[in-house]
Amino acid sequence: MSKAAPSVPDTPQPEDASIEDRLYTVKYKDSGESHLGIEVPGICAETCTTYECTNVCPADVWRAEEGGVPTIAYENCLECGSCRFACPHGNVEWEYPTTGNGVSYKHG
Amino acid sequence: MTATPNYDDEFDAIVVGAGLSGTAAALTMAKDGLDVVMLERGPSPGSKNVFGGVLYTPRIRELTDLSDAPKERYVAKKTYSMLSDAGDETSMSIAPAAWREEPHNDSWMVLRRDFDEWFADQAVEAGATLITETTVTDLIREDGTVVGVETDRPNGTLRAPVVVLGEGANSLVSEGAGLKRQDDRDNVAVSAKEVRKYDREKLEDRFHLDGEAGLAAHYFGDGAVGDAVGGAFLYTNKRTVSIGVVYSIEDAAHGERTPDEVLDQFKQHPAVAPLVRGGRMVEYSAHAIPEGGPDSMPDLVHDGAVIVGDAAGLVLNSGIHLEGTNMAVESGFHAGQAIADALDRGRSDAAALESYEQRLEESYVVQNLDHYGWFMDTAAEEKEFLFEELPHALGDATEEYFRMDDRPKDEHVSDAKSHILNASGGWFGMAKKAWKFRKMLS
Repeated sequence: MSKAAPSVPDTPQPEDASIEDRLYTVKYKDSGESHLGIEVPGICAETCTTYECTNVCPADVWRAEEGGVPTIAYENCLECGSCRFACPHGNVEWEYPTTGNGVSYKHG
Repeated sequence: MTATPNYDDEFDAIVVGAGLSGTAAALTMAKDGLDVVMLERGPSPGSKNVFGGVLYTPRIRELTDLSDAPKERYVAKKTYSMLSDAGDETSMSIAPAAWREEPHNDSWMVLRRDFDEWFADQAVEAGATLITETTVTDLIREDGTVVGVETDRPNGTLRAPVVVLGEGANSLVSEGAGLKRQDDRDNVAVSAKEVRKYDREKLEDRFHLDGEAGLAAHYFGDGAVGDAVGGAFLYTNKRTVSIGVVYSIEDAAHGERTPDEVLDQFKQHPAVAPLVRGGRMVEYSAHAIPEGGPDSMPDLVHDGAVIVGDAAGLVLNSGIHLEGTNMAVESGFHAGQAIADALDRGRSDAAALESYEQRLEESYVVQNLDHYGWFMDTAAEEKEFLFEELPHALGDATEEYFRMDDRPKDEHVSDAKSHILNASGGWFGMAKKAWKFRKMLS
């Protein structure tokens, strides 16, 4: 998929929310401790060139950084699990937030 | 949970996760007189759960009175649309009059937070115990047999003869205990979804709805989710619209856009933008969906434990049928019955629990998974044709078929045909593709 959205006359422009606006709609209880991690940072820095964790994440949790080890904005996490499946190196550490912490949907 | 009472050995069965599969199991067992505890990691049942969503309710209606359940709208109409990324739409609309009569083909739009909480309440009313904000971290095993769970609560060890694992798509406990392996990413989809709120009258006018009638709209093609195996959906609730995209994590991993960007692009399609403009986004959500079909189902029965719902990979995507939550309920129901039978005989070993797997295999759940198991693989093989060439060819063909100019119609028909034939690889190619997809409607 490389093309931009089709430009067709008489098509309204729906709201194009930023990821920040989107995450603002979700209740998040922060345990203060990340439930996500990287098993072996060296694999991200030296072996990985594709950063697929950043491609699949719908919440901008995984961010590619200079030096090769992604940073993790765990407090954005929607607990979808995509990064867990996506990492071709099996290098994503993924636990459930404990004692009721983490994301909490009001609709779902 | 403020105090931590000692529940050790108090229960006949522990249910991990108070979603639809776990709750169906708990409700079935509680109705049979068993002492059951449901352990839910969220602040309330449903608070961690996401689906499209249409819930098909035949089994729930048998298990309990559905009339007071927090349902949104019944499915009065289904549409299937091919969208090209040039902006074309080719659709089919299905609205049998019978769907407007009770029980509405047991097809309801619901929102999971409300519905799952209500469903768990039914299990509690039947005698089950619900403990929230408690995450199961591991299984306890003795001589290979599962005899209980570890939780993240102080003194949080809980023992019982049987553990029902209804943890959902991210089945960390089952995987951690070696009861199943993590799915490959080409068997798992990622979904991103928005719930948008509208004035009820405006929503009903926009979608031509009245009363409790609702629309379930499905979209395919590169205008829906770009260059990926997957699709998009739009469901009307009472006052909100659920809109989202679902596509393979394999494609997402290689994609240029993140799931939220793919959702944005879908919303801008000329077939979709007029349906979702305005209103207010009241929630954004995302989840992984196991779509590996029958080949990626784990062993469901173990000594002292059974696996149900998404954790068991019970999701059907045939292109036409998109089901999961009904199969979760069905699996929970059969697991609950099998456990009750086994415990009646004083047993909880795998051989005694085996009837769960047998019941599920005889049910529509495994029958449908087996019948449509070919689809996801074939869809992946034929990705370019199915999701790119076909939606464009249909758009071009219909444009040509209906073209108004000074040429006779038979010339337009002939040109329209050639659009389809070119995309299909000629008559021979079309025959081959028709053969490949012959079981899609059967």
